[in-house]
Amino acid sequence: MSLLEKLNAVKDTVPHYWPIGAFIHHNPLKGFEHLNFKEGLIKAQNTFGGKVYMDPDYYIALYHKGKVKPEHLEKNLLRPLEEAKLENYASSAKTFMLEISPQWNSLRSYEDLKINDIDEELHTYLEEKSIYLHKEAWIESLTEHMTLYEIHDALFGTSEKELIEKDVIEYIARFLDEAQTTLSMADRDLGMFNTFKLYEDIDHEGDSESYVEKVLEEFKVPKKDIEKYFLTHILKLHGWAGFIKYRSEDKEYYPQQVHPSSLMDYMAVRLHFGLKYMQEGEINDFDKLHAYIKNNTPYTILKLLQSKGKLTGTYNDAMEEHQDYQEILDAYVKDEINLDSLQIQLAKKSLPSLDMTLIEFANFAELLKKEEGFLWLKSLEDSYISEHVDAFTSPHTYEEKPLSSTIFCLDVRSETIRRKVEESGPYETYGAGGFLGIPINFVEFDKAHALALAPAVIKPKNIVFEIPVEVHEEYNSKKGITKTYKKVLTDLKNNPYTPYIMVEAIGWMFGIKLFGKTFFPEKTEKLFNKMKPKKPKTTYTLDKLTIQEIEKYIRRLHTNIINEVLTTQSDTVLNKDELFILWEHLIFNKDLCIKISPDIINKLKHAYHITGMDYTLQKEKLGQVGFTIDEQVMYVENLLNMIGMVKDFSKFVIISGHGSVSDNNPFESALDCGACGGSISLPNSRALCMIANKEEVREKLKEKGIDIPADVRFIPAIHTTTTDEITFHDTELLNQEELELFSKMELDFKKASFEAREERALDLPNTNEQKDLFIKTMDWSEPRPEWGLAGNMGVFAGPRDSCRHIPFKNRLFMHSYDSTIDNENSDLLTRIFDGPLVVGEWINLEHYFSTVDNKIYGAGSKVYHNVVSKIGVYNGNYSDLKIGLPTQSVLLEGEAYHEPVRLLTYMEAPLDTVAKAVENSIAKEFILNEWIRPIIIDKAAKKVYSYEFGEFIVIKELA
Amino acid sequence: MLIDFILLFLFAGVPYYVFFEKTKILGKEKIFLLSAFLVICGMIVSSMFPQERCTLVIVVAFLASWFSLYKAKQTTNLYKLSYYVLFFNAPMLIMFETKESILYGISLLVTLFGIYLMGKYYERSYGSANYRSVSGITLVTPYAGLFLTLYLTTLALYPPFPNSLLFFNAILSTDTNSLWYLSVAVIFFGNFLIAMRVMAKTVFGKPNDNVHYIDLAPKERWLHLAIFALLLVLSAAGLKELLS
Repeated sequence: MSLLEKLNAVKDTVPHYWPIGAFIHHNPLKGFEHLNFKEGLIKAQNTFGGKVYMDPDYYIALYHKGKVKPEHLEKNLLRPLEEAKLENYASSAKTFMLEISPQWNSLRSYEDLKINDIDEELHTYLEEKSIYLHKEAWIESLTEHMTLYEIHDALFGTSEKELIEKDVIEYIARFLDEAQTTLSMADRDLGMFNTFKLYEDIDHEGDSESYVEKVLEEFKVPKKDIEKYFLTHILKLHGWAGFIKYRSEDKEYYPQQVHPSSLMDYMAVRLHFGLKYMQEGEINDFDKLHAYIKNNTPYTILKLLQSKGKLTGTYNDAMEEHQDYQEILDAYVKDEINLDSLQIQLAKKSLPSLDMTLIEFANFAELLKKEEGFLWLKSLEDSYISEHVDAFTSPHTYEEKPLSSTIFCLDVRSETIRRKVEESGPYETYGAGGFLGIPINFVEFDKAHALALAPAVIKPKNIVFEIPVEVHEEYNSKKGITKTYKKVLTDLKNNPYTPYIMVEAIGWMFGIKLFGKTFFPEKTEKLFNKMKPKKPKTTYTLDKLTIQEIEKYIRRLHTNIINEVLTTQSDTVLNKDELFILWEHLIFNKDLCIKISPDIINKLKHAYHITGMDYTLQKEKLGQVGFTIDEQVMYVENLLNMIGMVKDFSKFVIISGHGSVSDNNPFESALDCGACGGSISLPNSRALCMIANKEEVREKLKEKGIDIPADVRFIPAIHTTTTDEITFHDTELLNQEELELFSKMELDFKKASFEAREERALDLPNTNEQKDLFIKTMDWSEPRPEWGLAGNMGVFAGPRDSCRHIPFKNRLFMHSYDSTIDNENSDLLTRIFDGPLVVGEWINLEHYFSTVDNKIYGAGSKVYHNVVSKIGVYNGNYSDLKIGLPTQSVLLEGEAYHEPVRLLTYMEAPLDTVAKAVENSIAKEFILNEWIRPIIIDKAAKKVYSYEFGEFIVIKELA
Repeated sequence: MLIDFILLFLFAGVPYYVFFEKTKILGKEKIFLLSAFLVICGMIVSSMFPQERCTLVIVVAFLASWFSLYKAKQTTNLYKLSYYVLFFNAPMLIMFETKESILYGISLLVTLFGIYLMGKYYERSYGSANYRSVSGITLVTPYAGLFLTLYLTTLALYPPFPNSLLFFNAILSTDTNSLWYLSVAVIFFGNFLIAMRVMAKTVFGKPNDNVHYIDLAPKERWLHLAIFALLLVLSAAGLKELLS
């Protein structure tokens, strides 16, 4: 096995980390999804440490609030008890979980040890079971996931880790920088490792892999341990490792194309700094370490325990006084086992009626402590499931013909507004998988780069340009002023001398913004908005260009460049025909019958890339612009089929994307549409509406059985999740009569927005009135502009009528789906699984783990964050790249606001349909491994199933 | 001269704790109480014989002070820390004018007594006054975190806490020479560094999952509040001295 293969074998332990500008929610334990949820969590806990379930106290509080139903807890408790043949002790087990477990750690007290006798038999039993008697295994477990320099620090009290990690972060942050700094690192195009060789003046001929091999040899890492050692290094800064892994695997990621990096390069950087700092160390290779351990076993164990904070004060005092280390260790082991025994004895005392010996009770308690996290979690989920299933299966029908049907881009935050819209008049709503099923590379008006508006796993193949449809001189002039102002400011800032004068001269100008935004956010926002250029009305390039058009555009682009070069660099002026001749010469190597200096020809070819190759490349790129008519029809058809909107169309079909507004928030894109690559989904909805309004498309749809009457209008809209406002776009296509109807509807939607805000404001801290919600969008000190996706707990795929009556308080993704129009391969449901469900699972588990252990899986507090390299945030001036969500997104005053449960996935469809969709879906692995909770409401069979422990079980019979 | 040597001993200018530590005649806890008591005796003697101290005594105290600084850096036990810091400050107690020395000494003793009581609390809650494994207390035991922060900030000579005001007042009213400059600089920064080092490992950092944290008991809180009140009074006195 090569080194690269060894590295590849462990790299998936850390998840991808996408740049924060396009925040992608993800499961931090993605690399464990091949295992069953419960097993995966045990393995992850062993790897990352920390917690994977909430503390018992948390669940017990929910139990007392009635959120965890006793019957579910009792039923779930029975399973592990039956497996251990302890089912007769169910009642004691419940008492243990509710009363003893919360105090479990406090039962290990030195104070109590003084006043309690320890049962000798129990002590012997626990001693035999413990790892303490097996010194080698004990040391191995203590040094697991520790690098050589960490062990060195632990043994000799050095601080090499601090220095090494700081240097590693400094180098990789500078190398991976995406234009945050004005002083970029030189020669980054050579790649991470080759640049590093120059940076550190390393004399090494080969690539990073050969360098890693060399350093591993110097460290004398045993061949069998190399894989493990790679993992150890990856885990040290797993945020950075995750980002490097992501960019090295996404070949289309532009910064990766220009500044290539790989995990092997990263490993070379880490090992190099390790070697550099360890050269003078007392132990600088594994052979020396093993010899040292052999000669100083008790001392090594004590120092390792001390470094992990496992030695209590008495032993630390003894260590400080250099007493006999073997004696200290023996005393420690004795005390630890005494404390374990005491814990069992005291716990047993709390259950006086329990008919068990102390040893039996020790095993009983061990089983319950091992299982309790999962038991509580499943009981909480089951309690919600039974409540939801009852609500979903209670009969409700809505007959009124709606004036409008609004398709909301799928998000938990549309739940309240959908309910309010439906309550405000003759309106129905639908939920459709994020990005509305139309993946696009979108080039916004006046922007140079394309945004991929699709889930991270999908690479859009079609490019859509936003182009103006009206004169926009005012925009151009304001934009010009802003651009010049910014350029002057940047030049002044980056000049080594000007800042001295600049601060005094114009520093006060920044004060206006500083004080304005702090004390008068609304007025300041209005003032700055006036100064911002207003975007003109635009449309999208949705149709494919013809070959002639493509050629014309490329020729125009090229001849413009040629003309510019000739006039500015050689004072040559050519007419149109001559330019064309020169262009043909450059592109097709045709004879050149005009006189041009060879220097200019060379320059055009090499500096400006006017070549045949560029012509082909441009042709290929322009070939991606727009959609063929069949593609257009397919996207509309897919969307309508997927949500079951295939007949009885309302007068207005609104397709609403969503986006969030906040200020000074590096995590802003986490609040936008996750399925649109962390951007707003308005372009997707506009594109779809433009397509659906085309006569040609409707005719073709009619052939496919979807008859959209000519008077039906598709109108795009955007739902601002921070304020629940719905803004409509492209309403120019409505005639006078339609406009009147539409205006009435708009008023109702405003009323719905108002009521949705009223409801939502109750859950947001420091929000007393509606105005506060708007201020949160512009307050640059607001760490929580909205609750975002916090609280998400499930997804429902089925007809709206089944869930319209239930207020879910923005906790469920509501996807419209009609199983009666799905085909025999369950293609529609499979599509829902492949897109929305995958994204839903990522969002759900990111919230889950960020809540249960924010230190390990979350991003910590926003208060300490600094943006680094424009790719993410870290704490202070160097730390690991923060993965996951900040505390402000999931916690409220230190307590969990988000309720961590797995995604409760309700599907209203026949069991067979679901089974086929699971089989065909890319989500199969995590569904079958129970990283979500699938519940099938099979109304035809009058049964509700839950997928648990590898099988479908009936949880409710319908009448 | 004899008085100078007596004061050198009483004002903790000689690291006699080494004897007790080696022989274990007295425990760590008692060493602090003894040295604090001797310092108080020193204050009384010093007020009875207010005269300039001989340079040799100051040099000896200064050298011993370095040794105590080293010991303070090595330990993670709050009892030991409290008497190491006292010994570390000995040159100042000897060198300052009598009144200033007594005021600074009282302030220092009150602060160290607070730290000593925190050691007691550690011993009760975690089995020993050693703080090595008990990090991040501000987050989990806020009362203990608050009082320890107060004592260490005072020790670090941060204004407006009394140690800083009285230290500043004392150096303003003492005649200067090279030894004075050296001692003041070393002891000023030494106090700061010791306090910060302890702060980083106790009140800051993340809590240790292996430790079951227990906050100050209500009685202890009152006791610490009383010490805090005393420090406030000393702050006022220090400010008054400084302004006069």
